[in-house]
Amino acid sequence: MNGFPDDPKNMPTRLGRRGLFAGSLAFGALAGGRWASVPAAAAALRRTAVPGTVPRLVPMRPHADQIADIKVCLRPFRAAGPRLDVERVGGKVVIHNYGHGGSGWSLSWGSAEMAVGKAAALSPRRVAVVGCGVIGLTTALTAQRAGLDVTIYTRDLLPHTRSVRANGSWTPDSRVALTAPAGPQFADTWERMARYSWKSYRDYLGLPGNPIDFRDSYVLSDTPFDAPEPEPENPDHKGDYATTGMPQQSSEFASYGERIRDIIPASELLSAQENPFAVPYARREPLMIFNFGAYGHLLLSEFYQAGGRIVIREFHTPADMKTLPEPVIINCPGYAARDLWGDRSLIPVRGQTAWLPPQPDVAYGVRYKGASALSKSDGLMIQGFDMSGLGEMDGVGNSFEHADRSEAEKAIGIFENLFARFPAGQG
Amino acid sequence: MRGLQARLRDAALGAGLLALSVQVAHAAPARAGTSYYTAAQAGRGATAYQQFCAVCHGADLGGAFDVPPLVGRFAANWAGAPLGALFDYMSKAMPLFAPGTLTPEQNADLLAFMLRENGAPAGSRDLTPEGLKTMMFPKMTFATVK
Ligand SMILES: Cc1cc2nc3c(=O)[nH]c(=O)nc-3n(C[C@H](O)[C@H](O)[C@H](O)COP(=O)(O)OP(=O)(O)OC[C@H]3O[C@@H](n4cnc5c(N)ncnc54)[C@H](O)[C@@H]3O)c2cc1C
Repeated sequence: MNGFPDDPKNMPTRLGRRGLFAGSLAFGALAGGRWASVPAAAAALRRTAVPGTVPRLVPMRPHADQIADIKVCLRPFRAAGPRLDVERVGGKVVIHNYGHGGSGWSLSWGSAEMAVGKAAALSPRRVAVVGCGVIGLTTALTAQRAGLDVTIYTRDLLPHTRSVRANGSWTPDSRVALTAPAGPQFADTWERMARYSWKSYRDYLGLPGNPIDFRDSYVLSDTPFDAPEPEPENPDHKGDYATTGMPQQSSEFASYGERIRDIIPASELLSAQENPFAVPYARREPLMIFNFGAYGHLLLSEFYQAGGRIVIREFHTPADMKTLPEPVIINCPGYAARDLWGDRSLIPVRGQTAWLPPQPDVAYGVRYKGASALSKSDGLMIQGFDMSGLGEMDGVGNSFEHADRSEAEKAIGIFENLFARFPAGQG
Repeated sequence: MRGLQARLRDAALGAGLLALSVQVAHAAPARAGTSYYTAAQAGRGATAYQQFCAVCHGADLGGAFDVPPLVGRFAANWAGAPLGALFDYMSKAMPLFAPGTLTPEQNADLLAFMLRENGAPAGSRDLTPEGLKTMMFPKMTFATVK
């Protein structure tokens, strides 16, 4: 039982929420001064971390001359949410599973479960999976676990896919749909996916190499968390998705996190004495993260161990699917469906991450000024997700999938500056 | 430690390769004398390529870690497929940062350049958006692989 309105329309969506899922509830509930009506949220946010529970944090070493890699990716965004319908191509049944926006990692297992359910209903002995990004790979594994023989047909293996150019944390409702076009039905679908995925990921915790892990994420702010924030709206917006065919403002993006707050660890404030950062306000939230290297290799070996087969192949048109021997095909091409399947409803949302050498002694993440720094096993990841104040509109419609070094340096600079003043009150 | 089996396998492999190369040679570029494009057109395509494509696919068409090359595997991928499918894909999807913004003529020039770089010989007629619809991407041979 919670005192929160389940209808996403009633939820404050104006605060930049992308990549900010954990704790978004407490954060969001504050928008517009709605405290009084949400006592549970107030209680959650007023809880201050017990003294002594903020460990001595090893400072990050974020310097632009440490950049080892810059990765750029297009989130496969659809206003109505991922495409999950079933289509016939010649004699084949094609089950679509693509278009997960900024939430593909987070929702992968739940989405796979739904797609495989549809495939299994047809009782095929074997199925084909097209694509080997995180959606294709988890779909293939889920199909094996349902007792099917699986062949993956793909142009690239995981390390070359857009999937590994993500941030890689639990962000299940990060630009996954627009509230209105997706409608209430997708909200239910989303909740099923999110809950199923969360449990699936928990099964990979505590394994050698930490494929899946938790990090304390410190969210910093120069103003109190309950101060109203300026609307991150597009100042010269004209209309909305319904009138223009493109999202025009942050508030159009769906926010469903509220629906699963019972299983997502809440955030807590740090008292001024406990806050080691030279920024007045800090809260801490536990964040689930996906370590691409360890996790990707583990999934691939599980697939092979269960007798899976991979065929490297590029499809030129949907008609090519007719040449596959399998009667049932689960289609997971991600953003590439825009051109492979002619799906113009896919909207690119550009994003970029910079990777610095791993700092295994740093076991936390920080978010500040629209940028995120997260210590992962494969590197210190730094992403500017909203450095221009555009909120959810950042990168929307931008398909320039090419590294922008100055953007990376700017994001790194935010943390270089922060850690030059760390810990606060010294030097 | 190489036993009889390994030697037999190598021999079989060698024979297989031989058979393969013969087969490739047979399936090789369409009918002799097919004119895919003219040298002048491929030259125009080269200029357009540097302007619109090289930023991602590389000046030498070699691609990068996250960007497919337009030579090598690319040829194997498209060999025997309708040129029209490739032309349609380029026209709709490329350049990635501004898809669909090139004219059909520019795309035909680009395709001519890509054919040249993949070893298809120049001929006496330009590749046109209409004409290419009935053509196939040629298969590479030992002679054409660069
Ligand atoms: C900057 C950024 C940060 C992100 N952060 C997060 C995050 O923190 N958490 C989260 O949950 N999500 C995040 N995402 C979103 C997530 O990365 C995507 O939703 C997800 O990667 C989509 O996976 P996919 O498997 O559908 O697509 P892809 O990874 O693109 O895989 C598609 C597969 O299909 C194959 N394929 C494509 N076309 C063809 C063809 N014609 N023939 C044969 N094979 C083909 C490809 O080779 C590939 O194997 C982020 C995205 C970006 C850009």
